[in-house]
Amino acid sequence: MSNPFKVLYYVNQFFGQVGGEEKAGIEPFYKEEKIGPAAGFEALLEGEGTVVGTLVCGDNYFNEHNKEAFTFIMDTIKAVKPDLVVTGPAFNAGRYGMACGEIAAKVTEELGIPTLSGMYKENPGLDTCVSKVIVVSTPDSAAGMRTALPTMAKIARKLAKGEELGAPEAEGYIPQGRRLTVFSDKRGSKRAVEMLLARLNDQAFETELPMPQFDRVDPAAAIKDLSKATIALVTSGGIVPFGNPDRIQSASAQKWGKYNIAAAAALKGAYYTIHGGYDPVYANETPDRVAPLDVMKTLEKEGVIGKVYDYFYTTTGTGTAVGNSMKFGTEIGAELKAAGVDGVILTST
Amino acid sequence: MSYRIVTNNPSVRESYNSNNIIFIDGSYEDVLIKVRDLVHSGVELIDSPLGASIRMLLSPYRSILVGTERQAMNMDQILIIEQSILNYRTLTQRRKAEPEHANDYAVVDKELLKASIQAYEDMNCPTHSKFTGGEFLETRA
Amino acid sequence: MKLELRKIQIKDVVFGEKMEVNGGVLSINKDQLVAKLMEDHRVKEIKVDLAKPGEKTRIIPVKDCIEPRVKIEGEGKGFPGVTGKMVPLGDGKVNVLDGAAVVTIGDIVGFQEGVVDMWGEGAKWTPFSKTFNIVVDIIPVEGLEPHVHEETVRIAGLKAAEVIGEAGRYAEPTHVEVFEMGNHAEESAKYPNLPKVLYVEMLISQGLLHDGYIYGVNSQKILPTLIHPNEELDGAVISGNCVAACDKITTYQHQNNSAILDLYAEHGKTINFLGVILTPELTTLEGKFRTCDYTAKLCTMMGADGVIVSEEGYGNPDSDLLMICKRLEKNGIKTVLITDECSGWDGMSQPLADTTKEAVAVVSAGNVSHVVTLEPADRVIGSAKAISTLAGGWDGSLSEDGSIKCELNAVIGATSEIGYHNCTVKLY
Repeated sequence: MSNPFKVLYYVNQFFGQVGGEEKAGIEPFYKEEKIGPAAGFEALLEGEGTVVGTLVCGDNYFNEHNKEAFTFIMDTIKAVKPDLVVTGPAFNAGRYGMACGEIAAKVTEELGIPTLSGMYKENPGLDTCVSKVIVVSTPDSAAGMRTALPTMAKIARKLAKGEELGAPEAEGYIPQGRRLTVFSDKRGSKRAVEMLLARLNDQAFETELPMPQFDRVDPAAAIKDLSKATIALVTSGGIVPFGNPDRIQSASAQKWGKYNIAAAAALKGAYYTIHGGYDPVYANETPDRVAPLDVMKTLEKEGVIGKVYDYFYTTTGTGTAVGNSMKFGTEIGAELKAAGVDGVILTST
Repeated sequence: MSYRIVTNNPSVRESYNSNNIIFIDGSYEDVLIKVRDLVHSGVELIDSPLGASIRMLLSPYRSILVGTERQAMNMDQILIIEQSILNYRTLTQRRKAEPEHANDYAVVDKELLKASIQAYEDMNCPTHSKFTGGEFLETRA
Repeated sequence: MKLELRKIQIKDVVFGEKMEVNGGVLSINKDQLVAKLMEDHRVKEIKVDLAKPGEKTRIIPVKDCIEPRVKIEGEGKGFPGVTGKMVPLGDGKVNVLDGAAVVTIGDIVGFQEGVVDMWGEGAKWTPFSKTFNIVVDIIPVEGLEPHVHEETVRIAGLKAAEVIGEAGRYAEPTHVEVFEMGNHAEESAKYPNLPKVLYVEMLISQGLLHDGYIYGVNSQKILPTLIHPNEELDGAVISGNCVAACDKITTYQHQNNSAILDLYAEHGKTINFLGVILTPELTTLEGKFRTCDYTAKLCTMMGADGVIVSEEGYGNPDSDLLMICKRLEKNGIKTVLITDECSGWDGMSQPLADTTKEAVAVVSAGNVSHVVTLEPADRVIGSAKAISTLAGGWDGSLSEDGSIKCELNAVIGATSEIGYHNCTVKLY
């Protein structure tokens, strides 16, 4: 057998045995050791591969100093020249999942090295990488390490040897969204008849072409008299006060912020953008371009609208999980309704 | 006879009254975009914007029937034309132009237009359509 | 109605003195065939070639495929309403040259594709790599108007199938399939507890090169129509579709409509198969509105419990498919749709041109943009230029060793939306 393939393993501060939440801001480091799950992972490779080292980075540091983190990570990987890079498994941890996903995607795209990760199917980090990276399907908590690691190891051996993977359900990874044309043992009309019989007899069946699901919400009734209405300003454009006091994430937001703008004539001069999904130059110059408080205040003065609501709500849209977005919308909506707000200008980017 | 033809097909332009023609000096996609602009401004979309065969989607020429006056915006028609543009782009990504077949495509496009006009005239529809299609995909820019 | 399809297994095809079948070998008198087809003064020249499964032969561009048959008992010669006098079809005894196909080539316009490879990778993607093909190249006289050109080629193909079918008149069948059904009242009395099922067959009906014919009537002009499955199996529906290679319903596939055959096989056992509704796919939006409403109403009037809906083509017909589905489901009728998809070269794009949440049961016949590599052929029957259309579609599709990369949408019958072929799509 040829030389064992070299694996570089990435974990966060917790799995890297540095500490918990309080250590989430640590800078990345690399050790030529097998830290945390990397050790167990190597054992499962059964001699076909070895873990040459472990990269560790704090989840918060990765999200808040993304550029610096990446410089270190990519330089390290380029120097080590592994045959395979493994990140996670992140289970359902959002920030960790984002890091695992972004790193795996970038490594595979820019360095052409195969990558592998593991996440729970609802982890927001999945969207950043699933089409480019094989992500093993794991349970939603770290208790699932016992089942996740063996599956990851099995797939790692195939990836490193350039072997083709079978279907997602068979191999244990999350479908990448690629629809592949293959041959069936039955012709299409036979499959259709069988599907119809299943439906007619109330039996289970599986469609071959799932329709995308849309979450349709009925719009509220139109505002009858705008000149008497209170209108709130809400944005997903990541506009926050200087310094980002509430540490809203640049991507995959886990929270929203609420700021008093009753006295302000505009956002300019006190707000800037932390949104990771667009070129920030013009938004930093004049944040009202993204969330037009200046215009709203003018309309208020002119009597076109009754009043601009005292509070401005903000979060970041890019990479934010649908589940979180729904949660934020419900929470912010509840506050606005309780405050008697009549309408909302919601801007996105 | 209350229709107009949005087209980039020169042989169509030659065959019909110029009052009924909105000629686009551009590509198939430019024709779709013009139709989109018209539908947004309330002009009725009479024809399906895309053809029924993949081959005709690769045609450089396209002729589409639209109405004459501006009426209220029809959301479903807007979705149809917007979605057609997206589908057109997906299908034609990476396909090259086939200038050697341009004439043949022009002929077939004209014939298909004739059939469309015939169908429209057979129907005698004075008011705009209440077409409701499926639910269209959200535009992902 | 009772239709007996007497299948004569064809094991080989040769040119010979006689038109006959002997021990499974179909012998064709080429001169006789050519002379018959040349009776149409619009035809300038006819070339006939044979292509057998396994040969490194490529046929391109294919216009239509037709099964050669002859009715030995009952009304109907050739294709009534088209090549013969109008009579109702669906009854009688028909000798079928099973495993043989007339394949017409000859482009009406230069951009036609439609390839059949008789061997290798390409053969897997078309059902016509397994039939013994009598390839008829029809060259019309100069200056024919496109409609007339198309009609000439269409009629010639049907006539060729009729002439060759005659060879089977006195041959003994290998096996016989009987299709027998009483009227609705009779069948429902026999099977009161079986769910009633209809098959809605959508036909492309949009103009030149995009037509279908029922007893010779162009489907652009019709309202959705109820037809007995025996009629379609007996040749009442023919194809005028010349361009959508992968998902057009060739005349052969109408004669052997797999959805009809598979539903018929269940009739009296698990379902009460009520019949077929032919639905035109029209271009105008109002036309679609009218057609889809009418189709749903027919299904509802007939008390269907379940309906299979098949499509022809891609693009605007996706809307009709889903509109019919939506209306049926809202009326409490369970549907299964058969369609192909276009998920792009990498399979990552949204598959359908339209969507509706009611379409919960869909059979996918394959991704039309799936790329296949065709090896270089030893013999090409047809137009070498058409190969460059196939290959010339994008960069790097024709490689140095002569192999061609082409999209599945250029292969005849690859993603048949009546479910004739066995492609499907899995999520990876």
